[in-house]
Amino acid sequence: MSVQLVGVNFTYPGAGAGVFDINLEIQPGELVACIGASGSGKTTLLKMVAGFEFPDRGQVIIDGLDVTRLRPRERQLGVVFQNYALFPLMTATDNVAYPLKVRHVAREERLRRARETLERVGLAQFADRYPGTLSGGQQQRVALARALVFQPKALLLDEPLSALDAALRPLMRDEIRRLQREHGIAALHITHDQEEALSMADRVAVMEAGRLVQVATPTEIYDRPATRSIAAFVGQANLWDGLSVGGDGVELPLGLLKLPPHDLPEGTPVTVLVRPENVNVGPAPDGINEFPCRVTRDRFLGSLRRYDAEIRGGTVLGETSARAVIERIHIPPQNIQLIPAGPHDKPLEEKQP
Amino acid sequence: MIVLIYLIYLFTPIALLFIGSFGEYWTNTLMPTGLTGNWYLEVYNDPSFQRAFMVSLRVTLACCAIVTLVTTPLAYALYNSAARGVNFAVRLVALLPIAAPPLVLGFGFILVFSSDALPYLGSTWLLVLGHVVLTIPYLLQTLVSDMRHLKLAQLEISAESLGASFSQRFFDVVLPTLRHSLASGLIMVAALSIGEFQLSNLIAGFLSRPYPVVLLQAFYGATGFACAATVVLLALALLAAAGGAITARSASRVRGGQPA
Repeated sequence: MSVQLVGVNFTYPGAGAGVFDINLEIQPGELVACIGASGSGKTTLLKMVAGFEFPDRGQVIIDGLDVTRLRPRERQLGVVFQNYALFPLMTATDNVAYPLKVRHVAREERLRRARETLERVGLAQFADRYPGTLSGGQQQRVALARALVFQPKALLLDEPLSALDAALRPLMRDEIRRLQREHGIAALHITHDQEEALSMADRVAVMEAGRLVQVATPTEIYDRPATRSIAAFVGQANLWDGLSVGGDGVELPLGLLKLPPHDLPEGTPVTVLVRPENVNVGPAPDGINEFPCRVTRDRFLGSLRRYDAEIRGGTVLGETSARAVIERIHIPPQNIQLIPAGPHDKPLEEKQP
Repeated sequence: MIVLIYLIYLFTPIALLFIGSFGEYWTNTLMPTGLTGNWYLEVYNDPSFQRAFMVSLRVTLACCAIVTLVTTPLAYALYNSAARGVNFAVRLVALLPIAAPPLVLGFGFILVFSSDALPYLGSTWLLVLGHVVLTIPYLLQTLVSDMRHLKLAQLEISAESLGASFSQRFFDVVLPTLRHSLASGLIMVAALSIGEFQLSNLIAGFLSRPYPVVLLQAFYGATGFACAATVVLLALALLAAAGGAITARSASRVRGGQPA
């Protein structure tokens, strides 16, 4: 059962903010993470799918059915909220059984299915506890169980992990992914945490100012961001603006940087992207793109070390596992990417994986 | 220190009332002399106090019932209304009885309901109506602030996404969630209604005077009798307050478990 958004537009009255020209399809069993800064419209997007807001234009299609004008309760979607929104006066079992109760499933049957689902999320021994006596992670599992127990057509996750302890999040990521795969349903995961998006999603949808600016696999988003702002938003990045020179160079504030051959006309404004792990320590074998440097900040992160290397004309952010003193760095040309400069807010056509 | 002075200030009259109600004689002395339970017996046997007690009970119960039926949907509408105009209007109408002295309301009632068109001054129902108007704001405030505090909208959205219809949401989620605040709010309403004097004194009919109005008459008689009659009222009010405190505490236990 797929979720499809076709040309969806929505503007908040008076505010001018909203979502514009949204085209997105989520396949059965696929998890699409939608990321963006706060106010970029990612939560509004979820509201369109869930039916909490109705689009001004465009269609929401779930399982081949146009649900654009249907109320949330008619859409058969499992929604997990940031603050879980469990019913405080019902036990975990009653919470999970509630969607079955409103569907008039017989009491015995719904309690059985609720217990079964709680077991699947590893909460069998907490079935009779009230939400107030459960930890954040446990409440989140109850919320997940409640959203899945009635075999919804899709799963919508609205920042489900942001209220959890940092240590618990990776665990719950895996848990959500496991349950979603088990059910084989389409999932839309809203998050502001790019690491969460990259690690969980089949595809990542990046939103900016109400528009989808890139929809692609996590590796593609990271390796080939469509715009400068996506590059800056996803992961760590060195970004420099300059002009193309010759067939294999770019003139930057920090000097001339050698690139793989390109066919840009002389003097084209471009943005150069270098991920910190692609900055190498020490002299280059061929002396290309090599800079003497002074490390001004050095952060030891355990498995790696992230440093600011001050060179003539700027600072380079680098990552290395080497522990030695850094006096020279170099950037191999094949590690450099060019992003076209210019207006970045143009919507892109969705790329299928 | 200030707290202590305040407590003394608060409790001395109450203590004196209590002592006085058991004293046999109390004229021109610091403390009464003799010990007796007769004053309570006299209050108990006084027909006008008997009637007043029953009137107060009836008025309070009716007031609670009507306030609940009116205020719950009102609070729900107020909480859910996005329109700022509506919000402001309801708030103003609801808070006016707190801002305006009951005296003003009483004069208004006299003007309107002593006319030939609406000759209802003195009826018990008018008294109930007066109490309803005076107490709605208190329950409304309690309910609306608890709806906000308990994030009722979030729970409702969640229930709706799970497939619950409006009536299912209202009876499965809204009412159970609010039962504690409804209870504690109603006890406040009851306490206010039991003790209400200003408005009642103006609009109550001679045979439908509530307890506090009749109580005023007692102070023209024996001191012990007046003290005993007051202690009865005080006991009623304290009972209501204690009930309120207990409900509020059990409600906060449920809330305490809520994630922030």
